Amino acid sequence: MNKDAQMRAAINQKLIETGERERLKELLRAKLIECGWKDQLKAHCKEVIKEKGLDHVTVDDLVAEITSKGRALVPDSVKKELLQRIRTFLAQHASL
Amino acid sequence: MKMEEMSLSGLDNSKLEAIAQEIYTDLVEDSCLGFCFEVHRAVKCGYFFLDDTDPESMKDFEIVDQPGLDIFGQVFNQWKSKECVCPNCSRSIAASRFAPHLEKCLGMGRNSSRIANRRIANSNNMNKSESDQEDNDDINDNDWSYGSEKKAKKRKSDKLWYLPFQNPNSPRRSKSLKHKNGELSNSDPFKYNSSSGISYEALGPEELRSLLTTQCGVISEHTKKMCTRSLRCPQHTDEQRRAVRVYFLGPSAILPEVESSLDNDSFDMTDSQSLISRLQWDGSSDLSPSDSGSSKTSENQGWGLGTNSSESRKTKKKKSHLSLVGTASSLGSNKKKKPKPPAPPTPSIYDDIN
Repeated sequence: MNKDAQMRAAINQKLIETGERERLKELLRAKLIECGWKDQLKAHCKEVIKEKGLDHVTVDDLVAEITSKGRALVPDSVKKELLQRIRTFLAQHASL
Repeated sequence: MKMEEMSLSGLDNSKLEAIAQEIYTDLVEDSCLGFCFEVHRAVKCGYFFLDDTDPESMKDFEIVDQPGLDIFGQVFNQWKSKECVCPNCSRSIAASRFAPHLEKCLGMGRNSSRIANRRIANSNNMNKSESDQEDNDDINDNDWSYGSEKKAKKRKSDKLWYLPFQNPNSPRRSKSLKHKNGELSNSDPFKYNSSSGISYEALGPEELRSLLTTQCGVISEHTKKMCTRSLRCPQHTDEQRRAVRVYFLGPSAILPEVESSLDNDSFDMTDSQSLISRLQWDGSSDLSPSDSGSSKTSENQGWGLGTNSSESRKTKKKKSHLSLVGTASSLGSNKKKKPKPPAPPTPSIYDDIN
């Protein structure tokens, strides 16, 4: 288990070092805006806020409400493409 | 920890896949969190609801999705079938053909002047024989008698200036097919030149003099008004200005800018006789100062040289009848010209005409 954890840590480190993580993040952000995910989520936010009242909104509330929904709303195509890229990256750096 | 010790290849695919999934989940959560922070900040700063519009406005701008309409609700071919009434000929014209029709109807625009030029050239060629006899009559007709150009050479600039008043298609065209601008222009409601000029009849002698020293003063044959532009206005030549001043202020009148080398002395009687028969002053020559420049130097070959501006300067008449005889004076020495007109022959000729 330790090894796995170490593995993961190592991989993450590699991701960050090469800048791949940033690239992936940007790519994901762009794709989500494109597919309308952001707008959907925004509409959902509006409802939540209207419910809660504008002045009483906290970050924690929002986070709790939104992340679960957000994760579910990501379209499959985006998910697949991102996974593909991650696998490619892992394959590239297999024997490091 | 050294990367060299780790070997991903040793891991099986499921683990790799799991790792990939984890990375993916991390990324998505990052995005969500980022979004949450944005929204929260917007709420707290008060601009979260700014982009909302009220439902009424939303209805106005709703996307239209009907066949035959675009998304704004406009019909595609709407203007094709619409008809407009031409203000000039009062005909009903299709909208898409309206602009070209108006161009031809009013006689303004490049094409219409070209066509008219051609027509005039053709008609003048045909009428050449009969025009010679009628010339003298024309001159007698009007004070401003601009007989048509006899000789072949017609400058395009002249035609362009004439043309708006001479719509060959209009029934108002005189039967002689000549430029009788005096007559036709009155009936033509659409003036090409904006009449921003002064009517010289209304001016007293002192005003005239002061005006002539400051302004161009050349009298437009179309509007019978004096040009109010500067002394160097490009529409008229110096010869024209001189002629106007001579006309108003007597033969001794000198242009504010005196031109050198104007020699009118050699003025033959015989020549003038023939000249008078071709009296013509084309204001149209104004448009091309280059033309006037060239014709100045030329030996006044063709009377048909539309730009009689070069000649106009040499005219000297003590007559109230201002037939700005551009051409008349250029007889004899066309190279040198003096501002002073030799009086003798001209008045008699003009007497005859009048």
